[in-house]
Amino acid sequence: MKQTLILTGRALREARRTPEALAPTLLIPLFFLVVNVGQAGKIFPGKSTPFLHGQGYAGFQLPSSLLVAGSFGSAALFLVEDIEKGYFDRLRAAPVSRVALVMSRLLAESVKSLVLTAVMIAISLLLGVRIATGVGGFLLLLVLTSAWAVVFAGFMQLIALKTRSSAATQSGGLIFFPLLFLTPSFAPRAMLTHPMEVAASCNPVTYIMEGMRALVLGGGDWGRVGLAFAVVAAAGAVMLLLNVRLVKRFD
Amino acid sequence: MTWAVEATGLKKTYPSKDGEVEAVRGVDLQVRTGEVFGFLGPNGAGKSTTVRMLTTLLTITAGTATVAGVDVAREPDAVRRKIGVALQEAGLDDRQTGRELLTLQARLFGSSPSQAKELAQKQLELVDLLEAGDRVIKGYSGGMKRRLDLATALVHEPEVLFLDEPTTGLDPASRLTVWDEVRRINARGTTVFLTTQYLEEADQLCDRLAIIDGGRIVLEGTPADLKADLRSRRGGEPTLDDVFLDATGRTRTRVAGQVEEVQA
Ligand SMILES: Nc1ncnc2c1ncn2[C@@H]1O[C@H](COP(=O)(O)OP(=O)(O)OP(=O)(O)O)[C@@H](O)[C@H]1O
Ligand SMILES: [Mg+2]
Repeated sequence: MKQTLILTGRALREARRTPEALAPTLLIPLFFLVVNVGQAGKIFPGKSTPFLHGQGYAGFQLPSSLLVAGSFGSAALFLVEDIEKGYFDRLRAAPVSRVALVMSRLLAESVKSLVLTAVMIAISLLLGVRIATGVGGFLLLLVLTSAWAVVFAGFMQLIALKTRSSAATQSGGLIFFPLLFLTPSFAPRAMLTHPMEVAASCNPVTYIMEGMRALVLGGGDWGRVGLAFAVVAAAGAVMLLLNVRLVKRFD
Repeated sequence: MTWAVEATGLKKTYPSKDGEVEAVRGVDLQVRTGEVFGFLGPNGAGKSTTVRMLTTLLTITAGTATVAGVDVAREPDAVRRKIGVALQEAGLDDRQTGRELLTLQARLFGSSPSQAKELAQKQLELVDLLEAGDRVIKGYSGGMKRRLDLATALVHEPEVLFLDEPTTGLDPASRLTVWDEVRRINARGTTVFLTTQYLEEADQLCDRLAIIDGGRIVLEGTPADLKADLRSRRGGEPTLDDVFLDATGRTRTRVAGQVEEVQA
């Protein structure tokens, strides 16, 4: 545990020293938020659109942007860099638990994501979004987003550990396209075409997005929030298990 | 006596696209506690592969190995605690400073924060990096990186030190720094296992050496004995270069009847 924290500290120091890697993870989701609201905001006016529960369309879009913010997998990109540079071997040759080697990266990812999400939400408040479920809902939203970021980074770490190539890891990150766009990202699931609705219903990210929306827009749909946490926890468990297995077998 | 390193029938096969690569084909080694042991061989002979197996970085396909009396495959973490490793490719993190890297390393081996700081300071002095210690490693020259890598392998004061080609690519002055450092830590009681391409280096530093070729040990002994043996067969004043070329069959004037198949 202590070693995990030591290595997490190192990972965060690394993040502080590479603001150029961090900046896009804030700017790109903001770009999505502004553009998506600009394009579809008028179709769904706040007052007359029931699924918005009285808010503007930006509140509906915020969860999609938060998910984009959580889908850069920077932990995995730093990990694969360690592997390519040989520093990972130096760490492996130290009496450090193999679990700490992967957990420290994920822990650092969660910290980065908490900060980033807080900033994202603060900016969205300036854009008129309100978190209908209050401070508690805000905190849950933070945790849910950062949990998703950890899960996504964790799956990318699998590619990093398996391929040891940063090019492969980066292309692996493109999985976020189907994951984030085969979702009810512009309108609720019930309003999608049938094939799209089927695709979205098969996609676990849909349930995380819907849980986040329940937190932002309110409407008392706590079941969806619970489901979102359950989905992220299940994906997280699978991801952790596979990470530990791969790092233990790393040759 | 317990050996600092003991390997029996050590083998490594890498999976590859068309079948398997047999990189190490049954290596027996015995390194005495307190000596500097040289591991020589041409490119691709299996030196790095052997070092990676002995340092727990690579799984062992067959055979057994103990380091400082501990079985490598069975208790890798206990082995890791006793060894220092500097691999052929320096394993550094460009974004940390030299001092941060050394401190982190000491912390991972269990030092308290203040202890780690002291150890890092001491190592920076020893490898002549005090001035550069607080700059990020990205800006270091190749030689500085090598020396820092060596310092990182030493910061926790290991019992057995593994160095894979520690002086490849160094200028003569840096090479001497590394040699001095190896002698110093050896004098302190640390066993050193080093691979090298430079026969002069082996001659200067090593108490005993083994030559590996094609994944098998082809010759073993003290530099003086190996030279004397060749002298008795061929006459003249053979250098370690001649011994190496003779043992690995890399010369046309090879003496007939010499090491064809190998003790393995
Ligand atoms: N990861 C790997 N996968 C497949 N084959 C490998 C791998 N690593 C090494 N080999 C092969 O194993 C053999 C031994 O390699 P090794 O790196 O141990 O040699 P070496 O003696 O250290 O050589 P050098 O002096 O060039 O560093 C070579 O034929 C090499 O091609
Ligand atoms: Mg090598």
